[in-house]
Amino acid sequence: MNGFFAPLKPVPPGLRAALAVACFVLFFVGWGIATYGGFVKPLFLASPGTTLASGYELFAKFGFTADIGVTVARVFAGFALAVLVAVPLGILMGAFKPVEAFFSGFTSFARYLPASAFIPLLILWAGVGELQKVLVIFIGSVFQLVIMIAVIVGAVRTDLVEAAYTLGASRRGVVLRVLLPAAAPQVFEALRLVLGWAWTYVIVAELVGASQGIGHMIIEAQRFLDTGQMIFGIFIIGLIGLITDVAFQAMNARLFPWVRGR
Amino acid sequence: MSKLVIRGVSKEFPARRGGGATRALEPTDLTVQDNDFITILGPSGCGKSTLLRVVAGLETPTAGEVLLNGHPVTRPGPDRGMVFQSYTLFPWLSVRDNVCFGLRERGVPRAEQVAIADRFLAQVGLKGFENHHPAQLSGGMQQRTALARALANDPDILLLDEPFGALDHQTREVMQELLLGIWEQHRKTVLFVTHDIDEAIFMASRVVVMSARPGRIKCDIPIDLPHPRSYRIKTTAAFADYKERLTEEIRVETLKTLQMEA
Ligand SMILES: Nc1ncnc2c1ncn2[C@@H]1O[C@H](COP(=O)(O)OP(=O)(O)OP(=O)(O)O)[C@@H](O)[C@H]1O
Ligand SMILES: [Mg+2]
Repeated sequence: MNGFFAPLKPVPPGLRAALAVACFVLFFVGWGIATYGGFVKPLFLASPGTTLASGYELFAKFGFTADIGVTVARVFAGFALAVLVAVPLGILMGAFKPVEAFFSGFTSFARYLPASAFIPLLILWAGVGELQKVLVIFIGSVFQLVIMIAVIVGAVRTDLVEAAYTLGASRRGVVLRVLLPAAAPQVFEALRLVLGWAWTYVIVAELVGASQGIGHMIIEAQRFLDTGQMIFGIFIIGLIGLITDVAFQAMNARLFPWVRGR
Repeated sequence: MSKLVIRGVSKEFPARRGGGATRALEPTDLTVQDNDFITILGPSGCGKSTLLRVVAGLETPTAGEVLLNGHPVTRPGPDRGMVFQSYTLFPWLSVRDNVCFGLRERGVPRAEQVAIADRFLAQVGLKGFENHHPAQLSGGMQQRTALARALANDPDILLLDEPFGALDHQTREVMQELLLGIWEQHRKTVLFVTHDIDEAIFMASRVVVMSARPGRIKCDIPIDLPHPRSYRIKTTAAFADYKERLTEEIRVETLKTLQMEA
C-alpha cells in the first residue's frame, strides 16, 4: 500500500529523523514568536536567546556541571537500587503464582503512595542528605517496576513453557531459559519507562532541603525570578532524558535483535 | 508389550463464568504398538488436541490413565516429543539452538549437541539455516525445525498435533513425504493428529477416527499400504477405497458438530 498515512506503515529512517528534528524546530520557532514577538512578558517566559545566555552563565559562573553530576548520580543510585529489588521480585511474582498472591495486593497499594508525600517522613528518618533523595527515587520506582515485571513475566506464552517441558526442561530450566529470555526485552522496555519517572521524583526531592542539584538550582532561580535559568534547567533534564532513552533503545536493539525479527 | 496404553481417559474442563463445564473427551481407550504410526482423524473441536495433551502430560485426565512402556504418565517429559499446532520455537534462539534446547537441558556436551542438531536439521532440509532466527523462517520451515527439535531429543514416542495444519496444500504434501521418510528410517512410534483425510491415510499404519464432541474413538482402521510410500500412492485404487470409507465416517461426525452448534 502506498501513501503517507497508511496505518502502521513504517517511514524511511532518513525521513524519520527529519520529522523528529522538524518537531523540535517548530517548538523553538513557536517559542521565539511568543517571546520575541512580545506576546509573553519576559518576567514569565524568557526568550530562547536569554535562556541560552543564562545557561552559559550557569556553567561558567555557578558550577552547574557539578549540579548535573549530583542529580544524575542520585537518579542512577535510586533507580539501580529499585532495579536490584524489583527485577528478582518481579520475576518471582510472574513465575510463581503463590508469590504473586502474597505480594500483589501490597504492591498495588504501595504503588499509589506518592513518592513526594514521603519526603517529609524521609527527611525525618534519613536527614536531608543523599540517602533521603535516593530513597525518594527508590520508593517512586520500585513498586511500579515490580508490578510491570510481574505482569510481563506472567504473560510469557504458555505454549513456549509447555514446549520446554516436553523437551525435558526442569522448573528451574523453564524459569531461567524460557521465562527470562522471553521476558527480557519487555523488562528492559519497562526499565526505560520507569527511569523516566525517576527523573521527575529526583527534581521533587531536590526542591526540598537540597544544597546541590538541578532541582535546587531551579528553586534558587525562582528566588531571583530568573526564568531563563529555570527553563534551561528543565531543558537539561529533558536532554539527559533523551540521551538515556536513545541509549536504552540502542542497547535493546543490540541485546535483542530477534525481537524485530526480519 | 504395548508402547502406549490409553485406558479410559476422559477430560472435562471445569465451568467458566457464564457457561457450563465442557466435556472434551469421553472415556477413551487406545493401545499403540512399538513403531506404529497412528493418525487421529476427527472434526474440529472433537478433543484431538486434548487427547494428545493428556498423553504429553500437559493436561491431567479427569479419569483414566496413560501408560508409556508400562509406566503411568503424570507430567511432561522428554520421552514424549511434541510438535504443537501453534508455532512454538523459542524466538530468541537460533534455529540450531532451538534444536539443541532439549539436549542442553539434559546436559549433553555442546559439541555433541551441535552435531546432533545439524544432523536432524539436514534431515528436515534446513541445512544452511542453522543460524537464522525463527522470525526469519516461513511457517513450514518453523514446523520442520520444531520436528527436528523433537526428534533430536530421541523420544520414545512423537506426538504431532496438526503440525502442517497452517501450511498450503503443496507444502503440506512435501512435508508429509518428508515425515514419512524420517519415520521409515527411524521407525519411531508416532501419534499424529489431523483433520485431513489424505494426510491421515498417507502416513498411517492405523487411522483412528474420533466422533464429534465429546470425542470418543469411533473406529480404528489399519492401513495396509506398502512402504516406502510415495505421493503416487494417493492415486491408487486401494487409497481411494480407504478414502471413501473414511470420508463417510468423518462426514457424519462433521454434520453432528454443525447441528450441535446450530
Ligand atoms: N483449556 C480449556 N478450557 C476449556 N475448554 C477447553 C480447553 N481446551 C479445549 N477445550 C474445549 O475442548 C474441546 C476440544 O478441544 P480440542 O482443542 O481438543 O479440539 P481439537 O479436536 O484439537 O480441535 P481442532 O481440530 O480445531 O484443533 C473444545 O470444545 C474446546 O472448546
Ligand atoms: Mg487441536
